[in-house]
Amino acid sequence: MVSEEQPRSARGNASRPDLLPVLLLVSVFVIATCGLIYELIAGTLASYLLGDSVTQFSTIIGTYLFAMGIGSWLSKYLDGALLKWFIRIEILVGLVGGWSAPLLFVLFEYVQSFRVVLYALVGLTGILVGLEIPLLMRILEGRYAFKDLVSRVFTFDYIGALLASLIFPLVLVPQLGLVRTSLFFGLLNLAVAAVVLYRFQDTRPYRRSFTLTMIVASMLMLAGFLGADRIMTYTESLAFQDKVIYSKTTQYQRIVLTRNAREWRLFLNGNLQFSSADEYRYHEALIHPAMQQNPAARRVLVLGGGDGLAVRELLKYPQLDAIRLVDLDPGMTQLFQQNEMLLALNQRSLLAPKVQVLNTDAFLFVRQDTSRYDLIVVDFPDPANYSIGKLYSTAFYSELDKLLSANGVVVVQSTSPYVARRSFWCIAHTLEAVGFQTMPYHAYVPSFGEWGYVLASRNRPLTSVHRAVRLPTGLRYINARTLADLTHFPTDMAELPTDINRLNNQALVRYFDDDWGPYSH
Amino acid sequence: MPTRRFFLHQTGLGLAGLLAGPWALESCRSTTAPIPIKGQLRGANQAVGHLLRGGTAFPAPTHEQHLDVLIIGGGIAGLSARRWLHRQGLSNTLLVELDEQTGGNSSHGQNAVSAYPWGAHYLPVPDPRNTELIDFLREVGTITGLADQGQPIYNEYHLCHDPQERLLIDGHWQEGLVPERGVPASDRAQLARFFALIDTLKQATGQDGRDAFAIPLDRSSADPTFRALDTISFADYLDQHGYTSPYLRWYLSYACRDDYGATPETVSAWAGLHYFAARKGKGRTQTGGLVAASDVLTWPQGNGFLLDHLRQSVDSPPEQPNLLTHHLAHAIQPHEHGVRVLCYNVAAKRTIAIQAKAVLLATPQVVTKSLLRPLAPDRAAFADQVHSAPWLVANLTVNSLPQGGGMPLCWDNVGYNTASVGYITANHQDVSDQPKRVITLYWPLTDAPPHEARQRAYRLTYADWVHRVLTELEALHPGVTPSVEQIDVQVWGHGMVAPTPGFVWGEARQQAMRSIGNQLFFAHSDLSGISLFEEAFYQGIRAAREIIQALHPSTHPV
Ligand SMILES: Cc1cc2nc3c(=O)[nH]c(=O)nc-3n(C[C@H](O)[C@H](O)[C@H](O)COP(=O)(O)OP(=O)(O)OC[C@H]3O[C@@H](n4cnc5c(N)ncnc54)[C@H](O)[C@@H]3O)c2cc1C
Repeated sequence: MVSEEQPRSARGNASRPDLLPVLLLVSVFVIATCGLIYELIAGTLASYLLGDSVTQFSTIIGTYLFAMGIGSWLSKYLDGALLKWFIRIEILVGLVGGWSAPLLFVLFEYVQSFRVVLYALVGLTGILVGLEIPLLMRILEGRYAFKDLVSRVFTFDYIGALLASLIFPLVLVPQLGLVRTSLFFGLLNLAVAAVVLYRFQDTRPYRRSFTLTMIVASMLMLAGFLGADRIMTYTESLAFQDKVIYSKTTQYQRIVLTRNAREWRLFLNGNLQFSSADEYRYHEALIHPAMQQNPAARRVLVLGGGDGLAVRELLKYPQLDAIRLVDLDPGMTQLFQQNEMLLALNQRSLLAPKVQVLNTDAFLFVRQDTSRYDLIVVDFPDPANYSIGKLYSTAFYSELDKLLSANGVVVVQSTSPYVARRSFWCIAHTLEAVGFQTMPYHAYVPSFGEWGYVLASRNRPLTSVHRAVRLPTGLRYINARTLADLTHFPTDMAELPTDINRLNNQALVRYFDDDWGPYSH
Repeated sequence: MPTRRFFLHQTGLGLAGLLAGPWALESCRSTTAPIPIKGQLRGANQAVGHLLRGGTAFPAPTHEQHLDVLIIGGGIAGLSARRWLHRQGLSNTLLVELDEQTGGNSSHGQNAVSAYPWGAHYLPVPDPRNTELIDFLREVGTITGLADQGQPIYNEYHLCHDPQERLLIDGHWQEGLVPERGVPASDRAQLARFFALIDTLKQATGQDGRDAFAIPLDRSSADPTFRALDTISFADYLDQHGYTSPYLRWYLSYACRDDYGATPETVSAWAGLHYFAARKGKGRTQTGGLVAASDVLTWPQGNGFLLDHLRQSVDSPPEQPNLLTHHLAHAIQPHEHGVRVLCYNVAAKRTIAIQAKAVLLATPQVVTKSLLRPLAPDRAAFADQVHSAPWLVANLTVNSLPQGGGMPLCWDNVGYNTASVGYITANHQDVSDQPKRVITLYWPLTDAPPHEARQRAYRLTYADWVHRVLTELEALHPGVTPSVEQIDVQVWGHGMVAPTPGFVWGEARQQAMRSIGNQLFFAHSDLSGISLFEEAFYQGIRAAREIIQALHPSTHPV
């Protein structure tokens, strides 16, 4: 930046009388480009964030143009040192327009009525931009004949607009991204202000008073530009809708806990595991139908489920002697054994004397274990990759079979039969392929939607209708009537033929990918 | 509509990352010291083998031992013969192996992350008619029984887990190795025509009623229509039949280099087609799934799994071991009542003399040649014809592999038009989920004639190889170097025999298999002309049968 103490000769050159109009016309070109860019940024951003791009674009453009009108009208109230006003406005446009994109990204998460903020910001930018051209025309007034003035100013204005509309989609968004583009054009506005401020003699009296403002404003823009990555990472952390109250990267996964006024949510690698508001539905449906099949159960193995919520349900059966939980990630089980809030949620289940927690790989464990269990609860993440897919294979289920007592039952969480219908039935058929009789069923869990489970047993036909239902007291979802309803599958979730999931075909992961593909963008 | 998260990633983070990328890398480079890569160049057995080149003064024998059969060489062929002899009641045997462990080209290693192969790593599901092999696979638990129509039932843990193969082409990992991505229609048509040809050849039988292409290859038809294919090179055959698509030619070249360590210009058309047309495996999985010819059997230690079972199928009592490692057979002296063989104990630096009624040379031709030179110069001449291809195998421990676009990590991972034939993931068959991997890179050194490539390979240092291996891996996974913890490298100077035109069906090979004076017998995959587990296994059994016949002429061969 050129400072007051620069060699005189430089300033002497710049203050040649005929340079002023040329520089100002170049400014017209620059500010016209900037102006249109802000408009495009706001439109693009609104359609990304709010969807429905036709509506977003037309309302944003309308608001922006209207605000420019207001700006033009307001310009008549600006009197006195016009150049000084122009510099002020340029700095403001730079700050407001330049920061608009990052600001909108960040605020999107925080503010209730994002639209109000969006239109306010668009309106403010529009007004400021609307002031620019009338002011400039007034500054240039005496230097050209009116017809030349109008012709030149508007020529540059429209050329600038053309340039903006071409480079925005072709160069700026792909190369810089919205945040950097926005800040970059803010810097250009500041540059215009700086040129006017330091290149014209008329500005001499108030140069000093502007210096600090210029420095602060430029620093702000530069900081934003260089920190764009951080801003984006930060706004991404806000992609979890709520406040992140805990996050930890363990050897195996990233655990994130969020909360809002109503609930906590647990995310593993960004996938929702449960919401405290309705997890009881998921876990009651996981445990109680299985326990109805085998009321004499004494020993239970839980695979996965390091949150202890399935174990909480199991502990409602005093007849159980031993519950063994195998979860790969000590980070997970420790969190649910130590954090007070989570202990309240799982009712200290993982600390109960009957409960043994082992942190080891479930597949290795079941291959080596020689005990017998009356119930095995399989609560793994969905089969979204080939490593997890192995835990849903015939080979894995054959190992479970070896660990079951004579009347033993297995229950498997089996993804959504509505969204991933083929995946769900593939799990059921895979259990059947190793010789199990199965009872597929589903429950509605608002945070997840329709959710599926498969009960399996070697020796007994399974049924959801029981003569004597023996449910623990205090359940909030499962009762004798819901039990009977769970096994009914409406037509859109009804059974359909599938492959069997084997280690050498991983049919399930392929189904799952297809089924969920359309949902994960 | 893309979700918001998605959008942020696409336009913001992604591009910001792209822009920041160069600087980020730069700063990493300057601030963090490079992770030291551990590892070494293996090759002790090579040095021992080279003692045979002549001029070595071995100490005089300190003691003599008498027995029925001495087996020289503890590779698949030698161990297979040993197993067969013992099963047939011929148990007064001794096997000597120069290396500190048995294995030869099916050796394996182990580190904290996984076991891994040093050479052979898989066995295609065999033809159910290969009964000797099927029986062996039952012994080791790979086949768990037979289904109704006699189809083998395969242990699901031993079948290669899905996803099996991927190819990096056009900067993208596609599933499967046959190029598909960006392949023009005319090339696709040629690929389809080639595979249709293979389907026909798989079914084809000769006038003698035998399969045109079989494994073991000695069971293939003698029909001249098929044998004629052995007289021209595979490349010439492909030219003559209009198989010119660069994609098809890359794929076939990959296949020849992968299985024979040689290019289609070097191997015969018969061998080039055999690679595909002899695969006739089928069966079922334990839970009733179909097992097809394209399925393969593999283990973390590769065929080391089969090797260990072969070795353990015969008990070696510690007080009187019948298997000695670190023993180099260096002189063979036939006489009236048998054969005297001098074996040098590399560890103890002494020599023992073995008096045996029969000696089996289960050694590669390069060794057989040195041992026979004084006895049978004609056999030595045959050995000189053997095109034996040098290989480089590197085992790398990586704490992660940068995932490119497309198919995720598979068992076999190959790059289109790369110098190596790609890598396999040794712990692919692990059922537990481990972020760390051991990957085994295979590199047939086909850029020069074998002799030259071999000499060049021997001259390179560990540091040279690390550089080459990393360059090769970087082409598949840009930015992988910092994730590499360990690299061990092995040069196989005489890795495998290549079936050059005339080799498989020429008279010389038949001659080389024949015993000398009913005292010296021969078994090795070199004698098949194609280097496969099945061939080595078969060669061992064939030789064992001949030995039994020689020692007990009255018995009927089994
Ligand atoms: C890099 C590579 C990859 C391969 N991959 C596969 C694969 O995936 N699948 C497959 O089926 N095949 C593969 N092969 C082929 C492999 O060669 C065969 O499967 C098989 O291991 C060959 O066994 P062999 O007994 O015939 O020979 P070798 O393995 O050569 O055995 C000969 C043995 O004799 C010993 N010996 C030599 N001289 C003496 C002496 N004077 N005294 C004592 N001992 C001696 C050697 O040390 C060696 O152990 C591969 C080969 C290589 C080189």
